[in-house]
Amino acid sequence: MSASHARRAAVTGIGVVAPNGTSTDAFWKATREGVSVIDPITREGCEGMPLRVAGQVRDFDPPSAIEERYLVQTDRFTHFAMAAADRALEEAGLGRADTDAAPFSVGVVTAAGSGGGEFGQRELQQLWGKGSRFVGPYQSIAWFYAASTGQISIRGGFKGPCGVIAADEAGGLDALAHAARGVRRGTDVIVAGATEAPLAPYSMVCQLGYEELSTVAEPDRAYRPFTSAACGFVPAEGGAMVVVEAEESARDRGAPVRALVAGHAATFTGASRWEESRQGLARAIQGALEEAGCAPEEIDVVFADALGVPEADRAEVLALADALGPHAGRVPVTAPKTGVGRGLAAAAVLDVAAAVLAMEQGVLPPTPNVFDVCHDLDLVTGRARATETRTALVLSRGLMGSNSALVLRRGAADAS
Amino acid sequence: MSERITVEELAGLMKKAAGITVAPEDLQQLSDSGFDSFGLDSLGLLGIVGELENRYGTPMPPDAEKCKTPRQFLDLVNSALLAGA
Repeated sequence: MSASHARRAAVTGIGVVAPNGTSTDAFWKATREGVSVIDPITREGCEGMPLRVAGQVRDFDPPSAIEERYLVQTDRFTHFAMAAADRALEEAGLGRADTDAAPFSVGVVTAAGSGGGEFGQRELQQLWGKGSRFVGPYQSIAWFYAASTGQISIRGGFKGPCGVIAADEAGGLDALAHAARGVRRGTDVIVAGATEAPLAPYSMVCQLGYEELSTVAEPDRAYRPFTSAACGFVPAEGGAMVVVEAEESARDRGAPVRALVAGHAATFTGASRWEESRQGLARAIQGALEEAGCAPEEIDVVFADALGVPEADRAEVLALADALGPHAGRVPVTAPKTGVGRGLAAAAVLDVAAAVLAMEQGVLPPTPNVFDVCHDLDLVTGRARATETRTALVLSRGLMGSNSALVLRRGAADAS
Repeated sequence: MSERITVEELAGLMKKAAGITVAPEDLQQLSDSGFDSFGLDSLGLLGIVGELENRYGTPMPPDAEKCKTPRQFLDLVNSALLAGA
């Protein structure tokens, strides 16, 4: 295995466990059609809180996807991650025999912003209800951000470089960038992404202090970024894992190169300082374009962060103008997450999944529930838009102040 | 209080604490095999020790969580329970 500067990082498989679909096909169909699945939170213990609606993964049965010994030692967010990783590897055509043949060539990188709240709450209730002797040992690993990376690598027998990104919501994009760097440095395959399960009572209470959280109870009115009715964001669970692989090794084994992770940059501008995020996000976009060797005019679609807070939305629009110049007023922008909610670090990874599929299909998915855009932005609303798409820019910001931008190139078209 | 932990009970504890399904007959027959060969890791064994301590209301020997095989483990905890009875 030789590392060289010429190695390029490709996306060869996508695994999705999202509120609008627990397979890549179902997710894409719902995303393309602009189906909104945000609905009232019905999970036990979550009723009667000021946060009323969310994107919930209802069509996922953990025991049918994950072996019991891994289920008992992991939280719901790791169940999502393990299932999504399985699907991504399957899509990439990498079976257990392939990865077992070269275990040191396969690594894992995940990001998380919420951790294992449901598992943690259960064990903390044991602690305060019965005493420390009744806390299970797996509490020591299950609720930490690092759990999904560890369990995916153990379960799959992967011994390559592993990492965990704890960088706020924008960490989802950073995880993919970290994976791409790992591939450029010489690892053939890195399973990367983010999943979240922030809808347990304890995790919900942790979020209630965020002013940016939407407390609107009507599912179709709760999350409407870039409009004068913007009233915050709706959270979600689920996420996606992708197989990031050396383009060369993918082509050698005949796997389709679906996209290339071409450029990334990240900045930090402070918690809830949305006006300042303009500068940080613009800098991240410029850095990502630079690394990708991409001119602003080459960007065919932007997957926006779309926080849904007027000040933040305005900062994002201005950041696009700062970084892309006049092209910012022409390039189609979309935010499919308005139909499923923001899954913290997972939100932008779902956007990456949608961006890869959009480039493959030549269709830009719409922004559900958003109609009257009050910014100078060509937002894709109503229905999907058919258009040739070679290069996508995905943006993400976190409530704690992280800003990231990722540039993706279509696989087949960029074989030069 | 039962003074002896049987292979059946150990199999039940492995299921409860670590999600591992193993037939008691197999556990008996393979009682000199490492716990890892059943898929039980050190945290899983620690959970079994904690479960027993809660069940019997008495601490288990410090070495219980370091046992490598089912036979070693059962011998150790059963002799401790016998001595404590």
